[in-house]
Amino acid sequence: MATIIIDRFDGKNRFEQSYKLDAADVAGKTVLNTLLFIKQTQDPTLNFTASCRCAICGACAVRVNGHAVLACDTKMDDLIQTYGSDTFRIAPLANFKVISDLVVDWEPAMENLRKIHPGMVAKSEFSMKEGCRQNQKDFDRIIKQWDCILCGACASECNKLSADNRDYMEPFVFTHAWRAANDSRSKDPLLHGKPAVAGGLWNCVHCQECANRCPKGISAADDIAGLRGMVMAKGMTEGVGPAHAKSFYTDLVEDSGRLNEVRLALRTEGISTIARAGMAVTLLRQGKMNPLEAFGGETIEGHDALVKMIQAAHAAEKE
Amino acid sequence: MQTEFAFFPGCVLTQAAKESKMALEAVAPKLGITLKEIPGWSCCGASQAQDVDPVATLVANARNLALAEKMGLPVLTSCSTCLLMLRRAKAELDGGKKDRINTFLAKGNMSYAGTSEVTSLLWVLAQNAQMLKSKVVRPLAGLKVAAFYGCHSLRPEHALGFESAVNPSSFETVVAALGAQTVPFTKRLDCCGFHAVYPAEKSVMRMTGQIVDSAAASGATCLVTPCPLCQMQLDIYQEAAQDISSSKARMPVLHLSQLVGLALGVPAKALGLDYNVVDATKVA
Repeated sequence: MATIIIDRFDGKNRFEQSYKLDAADVAGKTVLNTLLFIKQTQDPTLNFTASCRCAICGACAVRVNGHAVLACDTKMDDLIQTYGSDTFRIAPLANFKVISDLVVDWEPAMENLRKIHPGMVAKSEFSMKEGCRQNQKDFDRIIKQWDCILCGACASECNKLSADNRDYMEPFVFTHAWRAANDSRSKDPLLHGKPAVAGGLWNCVHCQECANRCPKGISAADDIAGLRGMVMAKGMTEGVGPAHAKSFYTDLVEDSGRLNEVRLALRTEGISTIARAGMAVTLLRQGKMNPLEAFGGETIEGHDALVKMIQAAHAAEKE
Repeated sequence: MQTEFAFFPGCVLTQAAKESKMALEAVAPKLGITLKEIPGWSCCGASQAQDVDPVATLVANARNLALAEKMGLPVLTSCSTCLLMLRRAKAELDGGKKDRINTFLAKGNMSYAGTSEVTSLLWVLAQNAQMLKSKVVRPLAGLKVAAFYGCHSLRPEHALGFESAVNPSSFETVVAALGAQTVPFTKRLDCCGFHAVYPAEKSVMRMTGQIVDSAAASGATCLVTPCPLCQMQLDIYQEAAQDISSSKARMPVLHLSQLVGLALGVPAKALGLDYNVVDATKVA
């Protein structure tokens, strides 16, 4: 006997409802087929969205035991094996407003997607007459990101969105910004990069949930890193985020080869780091920080060789 | 059982989380494990440097791995972000970038072959739980542990590959071997926010506070984590985070190596428990 507990919402009230199914009625089924089975045999009032049933439309993502899955692409047998249990809680995607049962409101996320201009604005060398062709190599560079089916699994599990969605966009939005910015036919990468920065590009907390839950194996976290590199290379280096990232790089390449934690706050926040004075006092009191480190740590053995290796890599990148 | 490792401390263990290194070095000999620090290891990039320069970050980690290969040993780290960075670099190198990156390593007369695996303290302990249990001289009976995994011990699953990221059990296995009890808490698999504490401070403080509150609500005596960065975030920033949410909950936050040390009879002083910001000595 399997138990499916579903978090429901009728427009006014939230409640949970349990459905008992014979083991044979879940064996071999996907989560989506299980939901359809419940709707057909036990409860026609249960609401959820689905369309293609073959993992290409992205309509059926839900949470199982607190983790987003594509319902049509997730087998109940695999879930039973993963959790060692045949009781599951199915809930609507997190970080979306729930409309009804497992149905969520996509409009705010779509509004964010529009902000980063997901459609391409082509370089002026292209025309209606000549077309806008792309060679295979350039297409291959962005092919992974084109796999995004807008299922929302990444957004559901994003820890930054859960903490505060007012200064952050859904991870897939950054993936589409990366894809548009890195399209060889695109006129201006910053057309997509600037709204990404405005939408919280530097606020990603690196939880890796997006990379872990994407049913297509896309890492929005990597796309966020790529966008950060692109906007910095294009001169958008102002702010705490770029300064923080650069401080790690500076210590690795230009300084000792290891991170200098005493200098990190200063390099990241500049003089405004005085706001962290209380924290610094705590760390010094606990003996966790050595103020002498501010003058620099010992350079690692072989650092000169490391720098030569990196210089060689940079030279090769330019070729 | 592998008993000798090329030890990759990571920057944080040499500075703000020195107690983690102290504890690890006190615990290892009691477990019959020899940790040989990799000479000349560099920062792994800390999940930050790749934003600025992905190729330099990959080169640095290829060099780190090549240094371990020279020692003929698998790499062990107790920092989850170092674990992720090193494992991702290895996957990239083994997945086709090895030859190209080796042309750069050659400038320092080095070469990456792919012979050293990368593992973590948590994984080694979980794989050898029976051995660990046999070394316990002071079972932590009655200690209720909120076992906080931290993101980079688990995610992305394809890069770490040790266990399910949605239903992991390695940490619970280790805590049980020490005689302590793990308590379920809702934020067990969440992110502490460490990597964005500067650019997204308000969100991060909320995340940190929620984890501490969640652990306290579960009846835990302490939070324990295998990641020194999570430990720093949950410990150093705990008071500030709780002030923002007006929460009264306070929770000692131990490194995994400190918890193991307690069960193996290592004195609290040698485990550096007095370096923890929220008083952890009462756990001893």
